[in-house]
Parts: sequence; structure tokens; C-alpha cells
Amino acid sequence: MNAPDRYERFVVPEGVKKVSYERDTKIMNAATFTVEREDHTIGNIVRMQLHRDDTVLFAGYKLPHPLQYKILLRIQTTSQSSPMQAYNQAINDLDKELDHLKNQFEGELAKYTRDY
Amino acid sequence: MDGVSYQRFPRIKIREVKHDYMKFELRDTDSSIANALRRIMIAEVPTIAIDLVEIEVNSSVLNDEFISHRLGLIPLTSERAMSMRFSRDCDACDGDGQCEYCSVEFYLRVKCLSDQTLDVTSKDLLSSDHTVVPVDYSDGLDNATNKGIIIVKLRRGQELRLRAIARKGIGKDHAKWSPAATVTFMYEPEIYINEDMMESLTLEEKQELVDSSPTKVFAIDPENKQVIVVDPEAYTYDDEVLKKAEAMGKPGLVEIHAKEDSFIFTVETTGAVKASQLVLNAIEVLKQKLDAVRLSDDTVEADDQFGELGAHMRGG
Repeated sequence: MNAPDRYERFVVPEGVKKVSYERDTKIMNAATFTVEREDHTIGNIVRMQLHRDDTVLFAGYKLPHPLQYKILLRIQTTSQSSPMQAYNQAINDLDKELDHLKNQFEGELAKYTRDY
Repeated sequence: MDGVSYQRFPRIKIREVKHDYMKFELRDTDSSIANALRRIMIAEVPTIAIDLVEIEVNSSVLNDEFISHRLGLIPLTSERAMSMRFSRDCDACDGDGQCEYCSVEFYLRVKCLSDQTLDVTSKDLLSSDHTVVPVDYSDGLDNATNKGIIIVKLRRGQELRLRAIARKGIGKDHAKWSPAATVTFMYEPEIYINEDMMESLTLEEKQELVDSSPTKVFAIDPENKQVIVVDPEAYTYDDEVLKKAEAMGKPGLVEIHAKEDSFIFTVETTGAVKASQLVLNAIEVLKQKLDAVRLSDDTVEADDQFGELGAHMRGG
């Protein structure tokens, strides 16, 4: 009867921002990103991509509670970069990686269907 | 402003493709990407499934809810799903089945008039859109017994009349929208056999070692009586051969590592979309998700202001 609608798991409610950003007040170049209605799928790939970045000193994510449909992503960088820059870079790199993956897959699929 | 790129260039090798099954290798990326693709294929690639049922007459042995649930679980061909609208995002209508952008209408009208029980199957569902129909599981061979998915059985005089509306949805919402039957990936194993140590074993000992693996990974070459790896992918990471080598007093006889950047995917679908299309759709959905989590301009602006304020406060 009082069960929340199922779509609440993946539809961002009105008036809520998909991504919000909060700087750490005590540590330089550290910030927490709150990403609404996302889970391990996004959290883990962004974290792993950030780990490849040399300017990133720390990157971690958590899903605070299974019924709170958001993730917290925490980034600390060196003074050469900023959390925001590192975050944008990670997303751009992942996007390009997926473009490449898509082309690879389509190419291989065409090759496969031609050969067999 | 622009940092150095840390982009990777993954490679794909396709091993086998069938309509609803495929196997491929994914290399030069890490497990986070492999797992993201797996999770998306299971829960976030959209399909079409019956979501609303209006029952006009139901004198069958099953109650209305029971039949509605069964209808929902019938896989429908969903090639169109990626370009369709979610009915909650559709401004043109209220998802009533009349709207071509977000819903498809189905009718089911059956009555049993003979003494023999009548099977009502997914083939009795009449679709308003010829691209969205119940998946055909007949194998192409002339198989008269294959009549689709049974919904209910009727005896003489019983009748079922209903209207159903199918909508676009994702597996996260309800499992009936999941296009995946199974999606799995495994790390590719690398198996080393220490040949020098192996030389010190008798033929019986070699046979014991080969037999210690619950799956057929090793065998003895009939010609030179050496232990060879016949199928590394049959290895289930059970450690049995390693334990056996240890028990024989020969640790390091066999070494097995999981390659951290190499995955073997197996994808099976319900038939709603082709297996190869499922993978492509998953990549597309992941791209859309990444696009959605980009920082909005006002967030960046707010930080610029706040950052300056912060700098003022720090600088005094």
C-alpha cells in the first residue's frame, strides 16, 4: 500500500540535481560529488578511471544505503589538478573508450558475419 | 585546462554468434568496465513488455491477476525499444496504448467450444504493431507441437477476453523487462606447468594430478606422456590441482593466474533482442548514463564563485 513507486530507483525527482559538488573545507583539492540515482555501475567505472590519473591522490565511492538511490564519489588531487577537472577528464576518457569499444564490436561483428 | 588523456583502447574478439546467444573476448580494459556492461545488459537495456491489462471476460480457472502477471512475463520482440519513449516521459499521451511512441496494444479473445481443452498461448495475442509481437521460439524446422508460451488452458464454455498495453521499461523496474537470460564473464586463466618438476613425476602421479581437477583442464599427451593443458577455460578457479601439487610435495608444479585485463563473456537473451544487439545497446546505454552524470554548467559556476569566496576567506 505505502510502497514507494519502483521508478524512484532510477528517475531523478523534480528539483533535485543529478550531480552536486561539495568542496572539502579542510583539505585542499578534495571534494565530494553526490550522484543521484546511480549505483555501482557508474561509481566503480569512474573510480577505476580516476585511479589511472596520476594527479589523483584519492578516489573512492560509496553507496551509503541500498534504499538511498545515490552514490558519493570522493576525489582528492594534487595541486596540478582539481577534483572537478579530474572528474570531467575521467568521464571524457570513459566516453571515448566506449566509442572505441563500440566501433571495435561493430567491426568484429561485421567480420564474423562475413566469414561464417 | 585539459589534462592528459588516460583513455584505453579495448579489443574485442567474437567467438560465436547465434540469434539469442553469443560468446566474445574483451581485452585491454579492467573488470569495472566488464562488470558495468554485464550489469547494464541485465538491468538497464530497455525492452517492451505488457504492463497494463484490462480484462473484459475471464471465466478460466486462473484469476485476473495471475493471468496479468503471466502476460507481463512473455518476451516481446523489442528492436524498437531503444528508440521508443518511456510512457512516463511521453507528453503526447498518457500511455493508453493509442500512442505509437510509447505503447503497443494487444488483444486476446479466445473461447473454448470443443470438449478438448484449449491451450491459450502467446500466439493468440494480437498485436497492433507488427514489429512488437511475442517472441517466436519455433526452431524453423516444421515442428507442429511448438505453439508458443501457454498462458492458460480452457475447457468447454470457458472464455478469456482482454486488452493489454505493452510499454517500454528496464529490468531495474521489473525483471519482466530484462532482455538477458544470462550474462556472465570470466577472467581468462593463464596456466604454467613447471616442466622440470613435472619430469620428476611418475606416470601414475601425473595421472593423479590430471584427475584431481574436477573439470577437464589437463590431459596426458599419449605420445610423450607429458601433462598438457587441453582447455584452460574449463578451469573454474577451484584450486584443486594446486592443492594436489602441494599434497604431492611439489608446490609450484602448476601455477595459475587470472589475467586481470582479459574477459570471456557469455551472453544469452530471452529473444526480445538479438544477443549481439544487446551488447551494442548496453554500450549505448552506458554512454548515455555517463553523459547524464557530467557536471552541469551551473554547478561549475557556483563553485567558481564559492571558490573565490573561499580564496578571499583564506587569504584574509
